[in-house]
Amino acid sequence: MKFYTQSFIYDDPWSIVSLAYFLRYPNPYASHIISCDVISRTQTPSGTLLTTRLILKRGALPRWAPKGIISRSESWVVEESEVDPMGRTVRCTTKNLEFTKVMQVEESVFLHQNDEGKTMQISEARIRSRFGWGLTKRIETFGMNRFKTHVQRSRDGISLILGMLRQSRLQTLGGPAPYSPMYFAPGKIRAKCSNPPSRINSRYYAEVRRMWP
Amino acid sequence: MADSLSPECTPLKHKYDSCFNEWFEGYLEPAIAASATQPEREAYSRQKAAEFETKCGKIWKEYKTCVHDSLKQKGLDPLIQQAREENPLKEPPAGQSTPSDRV
Repeated sequence: MKFYTQSFIYDDPWSIVSLAYFLRYPNPYASHIISCDVISRTQTPSGTLLTTRLILKRGALPRWAPKGIISRSESWVVEESEVDPMGRTVRCTTKNLEFTKVMQVEESVFLHQNDEGKTMQISEARIRSRFGWGLTKRIETFGMNRFKTHVQRSRDGISLILGMLRQSRLQTLGGPAPYSPMYFAPGKIRAKCSNPPSRINSRYYAEVRRMWP
Repeated sequence: MADSLSPECTPLKHKYDSCFNEWFEGYLEPAIAASATQPEREAYSRQKAAEFETKCGKIWKEYKTCVHDSLKQKGLDPLIQQAREENPLKEPPAGQSTPSDRV
């Protein structure tokens, strides 16, 4: 088993980083994401939000991977998260559903607002192969290296979404106040500012699509 | 907004996402003091849950039904069930305390 951990601080407050985190697909740094569905979402009596998402990823196999073990290069990943707006934390874990004997990758992300009003992200990964055939170590090392690259790309993706959220909030000055739940709300924006209705919403997504490779 | 695993659910998913994102942005900025008591917090949470139900409850049900039917067709149910039984969120990771009370 290999274990990897890394932490990072975003300058933005927790609420916007968390929003960007949940809006992170699609982004040009995550072109391997084919689909992302919410399969369960409930609010607990204490006020936290539990979400299960099912994500389909396209993943390239290493050249030395034994042929025929994994018949296709797409894989399902399940993501479980809990958002606590009062405590200002997000906890999220993802793991692959299939080929777990070849390689099980379990990733956890913890987002928390620190005393300076910035957001701390702690990422952890546990990578385990039970494959055998003298390949276990090699598979785990491959998984580990891929994860390290992935952490950087994932952060780049979130930063990009953060930038777009910040910009879309600035452009609506004179409209809704910053950090109000007006964005992504076509109908309401019409009432509040001079921009045409779905502009902000569609501008945000058009921007994402433009950058899509 | 990313697509759904099933093309016929994608329009419903996008509608649901728009509705949820709007609600979620407000949810992330609770209009309640940090010093609020437990009953006050619970009342606020119930109010947010009711707000979601009013605004997005219908589209959420439609989208959820569509996705769950697709999962059944693709035979993915058992895999997901198995993964969720090992749900790591039932217990907080060692060394991290969770600010709000667990249910």
